[in-house]
Amino acid sequence: MKITENLQTDVLVIGGGAAGLRAALAAAESGSQVIVTNKGPLTKSGITLTAAGGMQAPFHPADSEEQYFKDTLQCGYGLGDQNLAKVLAADACSRILDLERYGTRFVRDTEGHFSLGQFPGQSQPRNLFVKGGGLGLVSSLAKACQAHANILIIDDFFVSGLITGQSSQENVAVGAIGINLRNGQLTLIQAKAVVMATGGCQWLWEINDCPTDATGEGLVYAYRAGADLIDMEMVLFYPSVIVWPPSVKGAFAHYEFLAADILDGNIYDHVGNSVLPKPLPIRNEAMQLMAKAINDGRGSEHGGLFWYVGNSPNGLKRVRETLNIAQYNYIKSHGIDPATDKIEVAPGAHYLLGGIHINEQCQTTVNGLFATPECAGNFDGANRLAGSGITATQVFGAKAGFAAHQWAVANQYIDANPASIEQETWRIAGKISTTNNYQGTAISELRNRLRTAVQSYAGVNRNGEGLARLTKIAKEIREELSQLQVPEVKVYNQQLIDLLQLESMCEVAMLVAECALMRQESRGHHYRTDFPRQDDQNWLKHTLAVSMGIEPRFATKPINMLSE
Amino acid sequence: MTESNQIISVKAYRFEPANQVKPYFQNFEVKCSEPISIMALLAKIHEIDPSFACRTSTCFKGKCGSCLIRVNGQDVLGCTTLVNPGESIVVEPYSKFKVIRDVVVDFREPLSAAKE
Repeated sequence: MKITENLQTDVLVIGGGAAGLRAALAAAESGSQVIVTNKGPLTKSGITLTAAGGMQAPFHPADSEEQYFKDTLQCGYGLGDQNLAKVLAADACSRILDLERYGTRFVRDTEGHFSLGQFPGQSQPRNLFVKGGGLGLVSSLAKACQAHANILIIDDFFVSGLITGQSSQENVAVGAIGINLRNGQLTLIQAKAVVMATGGCQWLWEINDCPTDATGEGLVYAYRAGADLIDMEMVLFYPSVIVWPPSVKGAFAHYEFLAADILDGNIYDHVGNSVLPKPLPIRNEAMQLMAKAINDGRGSEHGGLFWYVGNSPNGLKRVRETLNIAQYNYIKSHGIDPATDKIEVAPGAHYLLGGIHINEQCQTTVNGLFATPECAGNFDGANRLAGSGITATQVFGAKAGFAAHQWAVANQYIDANPASIEQETWRIAGKISTTNNYQGTAISELRNRLRTAVQSYAGVNRNGEGLARLTKIAKEIREELSQLQVPEVKVYNQQLIDLLQLESMCEVAMLVAECALMRQESRGHHYRTDFPRQDDQNWLKHTLAVSMGIEPRFATKPINMLSE
Repeated sequence: MTESNQIISVKAYRFEPANQVKPYFQNFEVKCSEPISIMALLAKIHEIDPSFACRTSTCFKGKCGSCLIRVNGQDVLGCTTLVNPGESIVVEPYSKFKVIRDVVVDFREPLSAAKE
């Protein structure tokens, strides 16, 4: 397979969600030419769309950057890098004002101030609400990007890997190779700087509340190019993701609404006993209780427990008013009345806390390669405050875009290492059958096997035995997968994408398993039943995975502590 | 419940642009015990026959429109339109955009009729 199209740009942004679009705007406004590639259609794909719209910034008169910084570190169980928490707290308000300039609308009170809610872990009311949720946010950023002459957005473009420089420049990212699904062109995009903004890998878990896009290949590409990945064991779970019926699987019902001052409901087992104590425990503790109840056989035949507010002492009227939002109307359209029916839920993967290591300029350990959360991993630690995920896309997206622009100004195009191009084109060519020798359903069978294993062994409650088993299963699946090929199809070869994605998913599953195995303690959302205590003596540090050819090297990396 | 009540019969639009063959319809029988969204149904067809292309990303709110599709001659949101076991349906691409392949459309290219 040969490269059939060549493109060149100052800054290449991979991923068209809230972070990637913000990075593109920052680079373009500074004067760089920017290409954004997006795996699906703009505003109709990506993880940002599933965001409810909560966004944190210290606007309240009694609040401060200092308090936001402290809350972030405390919530992250000390594992977040302090230099990044500092940037997040310092820039949050300015980036929200930028969003208003781009056309995003926020809920305001009658006097015109931002409406601010106070969520658990926030020492002051700090939560703003984006009108239209994640879609409202992405739509305004997309419009701003489309209106900017320096930005070219390519939809339905699947990046398959990064390209690095020649000989002494091997540790420099010089672009990417990908497949334009609309015309089938294998495309080389040469760039002076690359921004990775591809989001997380939550779709690896059978139970998750993310779209099918969340397969984590951006993490793998950065890792293969030599970037440090840290804390890959740290995945934020959400307590009440819907598991049944199949067509509404992946939507979630708010755990927070079960609190006494909102709807005062509970999670029940299959005979109707409540699973959670009141007042409601914090989310990670609630999920340990739920996971245990499911393991003890108290769940439904579909592996769920029951989210129920139909007996709320606050009355049906209040329940109906609270649930009259898009998310619950969506559930309702599937024949379930969330106000009166029991909804089958279980803890599911919600957000990737770990990921690509960055400094406060969003630089990775590979020259010319920048990354922004969610795929960048070290700003939040072992847990994240509600509303910080979206704020991080804007704060670090802008940082990454600006830093990539500066890099592009200071550096010339570097010739791609021909071996790195050849390796990638051969890899893809090897996936395509010229003899019609392929087995159609094999990919989805292997994918289901991997997702079931990740759910079973790297879920809320983990132990050494299960994690070792997951590594073994992921390797077996990778091996079987390496034997598979797909038909040669020019336009929109979805099977090829399924295959390439699953390859990355196997790699991510192994990294998650190995890092979770290495961290012999429990901290935040990483709960080891065989090491149930937090161990600050030995584990106040990041786990680290670095690619060394085929097999990874695992180690640890210190947390960034700002000097007092 | 009899066997036929556990099956949804789908007549699905197939189109392969590179081959320049005329679009045609292919019949699929999907086993299903519960009412299911058109979007989840199409994902199942892609599992049965991976050469059938469809979009799978969703916002879980019925808002983003990645699942826009034409069912029994009506343009609908695939994620919130349910079909029951035992039913037969016809699935075509959403009528207002250019087809890329099968039921996958290009949302940036409205058909000329839709522009007017």
